[in-house]
Formats: sequence, structure tokens, C-alpha cells
Amino acid sequence: MKLRRDTVTGIVGLIGCAFFLFMTQSVKQPAKLLEPGPRLLPYVAITLIAMSSIALIIKGYMDRAKEEKPYFPKGGARKITKSYLMLIIYAIAMTYLGFLITTPFATYAFIHDLKGNSEVKTVPTIIISILVTAGLYAMFVYGFQVKLPAGALFE
Amino acid sequence: MAEYINALMICLQPINLLLIVAMVSLGIVFGAIPGLSATLGIALLLPVTFGLSTETSFVLLLAIWIGGVSGTFISAVLIGIPGSSSAIATCFDGFPMTKNGQAGKALGIGMTASFIGTVGSVALATVLSPVIAEFALHLGPWEYFSLCFCAITLIASLSKGNIFKGIMAAGIGLLMGCIGMDPINGAVRFTFGNVYLTSGISTVAQMLGMFAMCQIIRDSARGEAKMPEADVVNMKGLGVSFKDIFENIRTIAFAFAAGLWIGFLPGMGSGISNMVAYGYAKSISKNPESFGKGNPAGVWASETANNASLGGALIPMMALGIPGDGITAMLIAGLTIHGLQAGPLFMTEQPDLAMLIFACVMVSAIVTYIVQIITKRWFPYILKVPYHYLYTVILVICYIGGYGISNTMFNIYVMVALCLLAIFMSMAGLPTSPLVLAFILSSKLERYFRQGISYAHGSYAEFFTRPLSAALLLVSVFCVVWPFLSDHLKQKRAASAAAAAGQSEVNDD
Repeated sequence: MKLRRDTVTGIVGLIGCAFFLFMTQSVKQPAKLLEPGPRLLPYVAITLIAMSSIALIIKGYMDRAKEEKPYFPKGGARKITKSYLMLIIYAIAMTYLGFLITTPFATYAFIHDLKGNSEVKTVPTIIISILVTAGLYAMFVYGFQVKLPAGALFE
Repeated sequence: MAEYINALMICLQPINLLLIVAMVSLGIVFGAIPGLSATLGIALLLPVTFGLSTETSFVLLLAIWIGGVSGTFISAVLIGIPGSSSAIATCFDGFPMTKNGQAGKALGIGMTASFIGTVGSVALATVLSPVIAEFALHLGPWEYFSLCFCAITLIASLSKGNIFKGIMAAGIGLLMGCIGMDPINGAVRFTFGNVYLTSGISTVAQMLGMFAMCQIIRDSARGEAKMPEADVVNMKGLGVSFKDIFENIRTIAFAFAAGLWIGFLPGMGSGISNMVAYGYAKSISKNPESFGKGNPAGVWASETANNASLGGALIPMMALGIPGDGITAMLIAGLTIHGLQAGPLFMTEQPDLAMLIFACVMVSAIVTYIVQIITKRWFPYILKVPYHYLYTVILVICYIGGYGISNTMFNIYVMVALCLLAIFMSMAGLPTSPLVLAFILSSKLERYFRQGISYAHGSYAEFFTRPLSAALLLVSVFCVVWPFLSDHLKQKRAASAAAAAGQSEVNDD
């Protein structure tokens, strides 16, 4: 049986609540306080999430006969996973190699990833990637005095 | 008054005026392109302000805000796709006007109505905010807690489709706000041994990850990052005369009042006001059947109301330090970056800076109108910007912004992680606005609640016995109960109508 999105959300919510309830026990509670202490807000948040999760599970069960439209079109889930992995790879590469080395490659990859059905030519894209990197570097470092990562290997 | 004139002088300095023109233009582009928004523009600009003075930072942020909110009508009129939810009702008549060969007039109405809405509401906000701030100085932690609580419940109860999803999103926002040190005792919560998390999750990282990055890769995966061609003729001139304004004065006046009031209420921003004003314009029209087919009154109503909400939202932000929506939450984050705390004390202790905010919004509104008049004929070209180049630049700016928060890679990883959370939330249908509002208000909510109990020597009674606090709590309860009550009443009405219909059929037989 395929679960509805509301039911899955509710189940994930309850698992999250159990985890954070456990973690809240490790928050130090000062003795002899006149007020409820630092565990109060986590408990409130967990209660709200737990209540809504149960409501969503019930709603998902009641609506089980209704057909649910897929969130992504065909191939969308694979595409978003690929895009997200690119974000992670860019972050890791920037950590070690810095902004200037990684950004032209990342820009090139992002342009190709986001192009959809549009046609993108290789040489202009390479030129745009280099220009975007140089332009943003100049703007932030010299214009706004914002530091950019130099890369762990070069620091 | 002297402070306001001083603030106006600062805004009119050549460098600041130039920045306002540049940011307003950028804001119009962000507002016009569906998928981009003023919210995204502010999120991207926040990291840029780290190295700038407070005055310059606010000139940048406010100018892009005003330009961005005003620019949403462009795509609504030209291609029938609203730049954001605040221009949904503009599509109903704006796009049919374009199809009828009146694109120039529809754009002129959009520009003029936006100008009237923003300038009028900001003028009122400038006058009212100091008065409300003065009153707010007499409030205690009980009233402030109830106000924050009311703001969160209002926005959660207005969540599209299901109130539980709104409550769940607010709960996640509160839980995220718990990360780091608690505001009273300094107890460390949910840091998992990571020292970077001790100061909590950065608002800028949250905005960039959950709004900008998530939106870009989600839209791309859903195939929503493309636009139809705009078919336009006769774009010369403003397209609107004083006669047009006077003919629609009743609609404009109501739309203005509705927009101002709805903007003032937490969670009920321009996304709702444009629909309410449109509904009213239709109800008072002599030709209600012409609505949806290109009636200019529909555009007047929608655009006046959504821009009047700007001034309405400024009042609680400035006078009480309570953000009404995602954008004002980001502006409050911008103040915090510069060590300032919005609220009544800010209004009384730093009137120069407070007035600079009002003056800058006013100047930005005027500049927006002028820029729009000059560039109107080029509006269709804004919609031809290739998404894959624009989105790529935005993604790279997000990384720069994430790094700039603390000059470490840590916030970039936080940003990427929050992007994943936002993707899952979007798939689950959980709205982001309650999360953002709850996250921003979480520390205030907790501090005021615990202070209130401490000051009352452990008693909770003050929350219910102080009139304003009790009234706000009642409103909160009503907000949560009303959706259920309303559903129940609708079902009851439908059942009785069905029963009556059945009865009349029996009688006919």
C-alpha cells in the first residue's frame, strides 16, 4: 500500500519528536527556578509537532482512497537529487580549493543543470562562467569588503 | 519632524540616491520575474551589508524591497503569471487588458496604483508608529509574549489547505530557534557538541538556504523555470490620466484601507489584501460581469491594496519589533546584523535611524515610480532574461553570503542542510512563512514568557488578568478554532441546503 504524503509527513514528524524529546532530557535544568526553565520551549515545539503529526496521519488515513498527484513530474526526483548533490560537491570543493578555483567549474555545471530545454553552447558558457566568477569576486572582495574562502589547501 | 527632514537629506545624498535607483531597478527586475521576489532580493543582499554602514545597508535593503513589491504586477499584466502572491488578483484583469491591446494602460495603472498605495501607507506609518511605540513602552513581558504568540498563531492558521501543516511548520521554527544558548540562563540546547551552533542558526543562512537555494533547484526539477512570450503593443506614455484615478477613487480608497489594515495584521500581508480588495471592487461595480475580462478597476484594487500593505507591515515592525511577514522578518534580521533591535525602544532611543527607514521607503517609492515611467517600454525584455544564467549567479551569491556570515564554511553547510529541509517541507506541503516567523520570534517568545512568570513570582495568572494580554490570547485561540468552526458551519449549511432541496423535490412530486 502506498502511503499518502500527509501520512509520511506525520510519521517523520513523530520520529523527529521522539529524537528531540530524548535530546531535551540532556539540557541542563538549573535548580530552584521561579520559571519553567530552558526545557520549556523545546517541549512546546515538540508538542506542537507531535499534535500536528498525529492529525496529519489521521487525515492521510481518511483521504487514503483519494488519488494524489505526484509532486515532481517524471524524472524530477532524479533531477533534484542531482542538483542537490552538486550543491554539496561545490561546498566541499570550496572548503579545500577555495572560491576562485571551484566557482568557474560550479558555474558551468549549474548552467548546464538548470538549462532545461534551452540550448547552451560550450564556449560561451565557459566564458560566462569565468566572467561571473571574476565579476563576483571583484564585486564582493573589492566592492563590499567581504572575504571569500581561500581553500584549506592554500591557507 | 527635524529627524525626518535629516533622514530625507541622508537619502537624497548623491551616493545614497544612486544606490536607491540601482536597488529599486534591481528590485523591479526581481519582482517582475516569476520565481524571484523581493524576499529573495533581500536575502541575497543581507550578506552584502556586513561590511557596510547601518545607513547604507538600510538604503539598499529598503530600496530593493519597495522595487521588488512594486514590480510584481509586470509579469501579471504581460504574461498572466504573477511575480508573487501579492499580484495574483492583478492577473485577473491585467492580462485580459494586455490581450485586448491595452498593455500600456494596464502597466500604467499598476505603476500608479503601486505608487499611491506605498506613499499613502508609508506616510501613515510614519505618523502612527511613534505613537504606537510610545504606548508599547508601557507594556510588560506578558503583553509582548501574547503579541508574539498571536502573530505565530495568526500566520499558522492562515496556512493554505491545512492548519495542522501551519502549526507543524511553526513548531519546526520554534525547535530551530531552540538551537544554541537559551536567552535567560544560557543553557546550551541541541548543539550536538558543535561550538559553531552555540550561537544558534544564522537567520541569513536560513533565508538563503530555505528561500533562494531551495526555490531554484525545486523550480528547475519541477520544470517551472521557463516563461511564455509577452505579446505587447502600444507601450508609450504613462497610459493613465487623472480622470482614470477619479473614476476609480472609491475602489482605490477601499483597497488602500484594506491593504493597510491587512498589512498591519501579522501573517496577513499583500498576498491576501489584493484578493480582498479585488473582491470588493467587483462587488461595488456596476458591471461585475466585466471583471476577469479586462476591467481596469480590478488592477487598481489589487495593486493599491498590495502596496498599501507595505506601510501596514512597517507599523508593527517598527513600533513593536514584531515582523508581520517573511520580508519584514528579514528586515529585522538586517537590523540585528548591525546590533539594533526593532521595537519601541529603537523608536525612542534612535529616532534618527527609525526616521531614516521611513524616509528611505518614501524616497524609494517615488524613485520606483519614476524608474518605472522611464523604463516602461522595456518591461517585456525583463521577462526574457534566461533563467539558467540568472539562477546560477544567484546560487553562487548564496555561497558567498553563507561564507560571509562568519567567514567560515560552517554556515554554507548549514545553508545546504536547510535547503534539504525546505525541499522536504515543500514536498510535504508545509508552508515556510510560519517557520520563519516562529524562528525569528522564538527567542522573544521564550524570554517574555519566562520573564513574565519570574516577575509574577512563579504565577501564570498575569497572562490572563492583564486586559491586553488576555485579549491577544483570546484572538490567538479564535484563530486556531475558527478554521474548524468555519468548516463545521459550511458543512451544516450545505447539509441544510441539501435537505431543503430534497424537501422541495418531494413537494413538487
